[in-house]
Amino acid sequence: MGGVYNNWLALDALLEDARRRDVDAVFCLGDMGGFGPHPDRVFPLLREAGVQAIQGNYDESLATGRTDCGCGYTDPRDNHYALVSYRYTWRNTSTENKAWLGSLPRHRRIELGAYRVLMCHGSPRVINEFLWESATPDGLIRNFLAENDADVILCTHTGLKWHRALPQDQHLVNVGVIGRPENDGTPRVWYTVLTAGDTLQVEFVPLAYDHEGLARAMEAERLPSEFVETIRTGWWTTCLENLPSRERQRSRF
Amino acid sequence: MKQPLTILDPLDAHDPSVPTVAFRHLAALWLQITGTWCNLECTHCLNASGPNDPWLKPLDGESARRAISEAEELGVKEIYFTGGEPFLHREILPLLAAALAVAPTTALTNGTAITEVIADQLAALASRARYSLEIRVSLDDVDPEANDRVRGEGAWAKAVQAIERLHARGLLPIVTATEISSRNGTSSIYERFRDFLAGLGIERPRVKIMPVFDLGRQAGRGTEKERLTTESLDGFDPAVLQCSDTRVVADGGVYACPILAGFEGARLSTGSLGASFRPARLYHAACVTCHRTGMSCRNA
Repeated sequence: MGGVYNNWLALDALLEDARRRDVDAVFCLGDMGGFGPHPDRVFPLLREAGVQAIQGNYDESLATGRTDCGCGYTDPRDNHYALVSYRYTWRNTSTENKAWLGSLPRHRRIELGAYRVLMCHGSPRVINEFLWESATPDGLIRNFLAENDADVILCTHTGLKWHRALPQDQHLVNVGVIGRPENDGTPRVWYTVLTAGDTLQVEFVPLAYDHEGLARAMEAERLPSEFVETIRTGWWTTCLENLPSRERQRSRF
Repeated sequence: MKQPLTILDPLDAHDPSVPTVAFRHLAALWLQITGTWCNLECTHCLNASGPNDPWLKPLDGESARRAISEAEELGVKEIYFTGGEPFLHREILPLLAAALAVAPTTALTNGTAITEVIADQLAALASRARYSLEIRVSLDDVDPEANDRVRGEGAWAKAVQAIERLHARGLLPIVTATEISSRNGTSSIYERFRDFLAGLGIERPRVKIMPVFDLGRQAGRGTEKERLTTESLDGFDPAVLQCSDTRVVADGGVYACPILAGFEGARLSTGSLGASFRPARLYHAACVTCHRTGMSCRNA
């Protein structure tokens, strides 16, 4: 999974779903905070379930005391909302949990069957690099794989899931996020199950959760109504100016 | 008779004490496809482009294809076409197609050449392509008179027509404005452009604002005498500067920066793209603006 964004209700639903599926391990590719309410509620769930996490840009910022989330937006409106979200999360994340975020590694490597898998947040080279489906060339993926001695790269950060298989059984998988919906007009969120057999199977799993409960909690915390609208409708209302045209064409706003 | 304009590098272009920026990776390849050949002659043009005798010659199609091919091998992430006015190049559509086969591609335009036919062809290109095609249309003010004082008579109407033609085909153009006509006491230039585009019925307005550089036709009006020093970079993250991950192929070689293309002080290779992967020199007054504003010529 990627991008929890303080969404403890979706995280709880995911962990229950993963137990039902009897997966071997659960990994999180970072960005525990941002967007949603009550940041400290996700940490006990992550630790109790033994989730193996890496650091995202949000986690790095919280751990190092940066004044912004380091999300990498360039648009003034996007940066305004990103700052609202970051300041809320900063105020409401305990010192202990900030330190825990600081202890997370930037990358993880596993072997899944015969596949050498590298996990990162944005890209293998930059923690907040956006890898969108319509803006990530095959040549770049080949270079990432060669430079990192990997067959599979897993990333998140954009909020949109996708998978590209290259010849010679090489893969890049953006695992999506569970913290906010996919800008597709439904409130569901997504995580990814990888299974190594003769080939690599990549299953994107839709996840229903108590999104109305989350929306009410966001309202009670006086988070921006634009964020709450996204949780209820599934359409992004902020932080979407860096979408490439192909992904923006599918967007409502 | 009007004489051609020649742009010269500052005298300290080769001063060994100027700071440098290490090259990290090739995030963006820019092709200065029409050099400084343009059908407009804007008062603030970064590279003093215009219709007469371009001081930087256009690239031929074969050089551009070679650069695209080399960039693919080197793992480029995105490709940009600029000039001058890229849509004056006779091969612009096949070259955009060649770039789109390799990476997401952006063309920067003043919009004057975006006819109904060209807009149709761009829409067809975008729908066939694996990667996103972005068209950036330059407009400097939402007010026609204020815009045309900078960009020339009739430029506003043609740019707005281009925006509407592209929007009608679902291409979601990015409207790019400089701060040249920013006025104090009104809403921000960014909000003004968003409101203006919404008024045209564009429900997903995309706006990019750029600072004005002390360069080209604006040279000598701001930071001309300022230079970056090693001390001024203390505590500064050089990864913010686009010369750390951008290279520009233009007539005469490979350069560190889109707005310094053609300047010898910014040239890093006279041959291959790969040979330009070495430190770039922050020798120009324009480097002060990038350092101060953190701006990038990229879309986002």
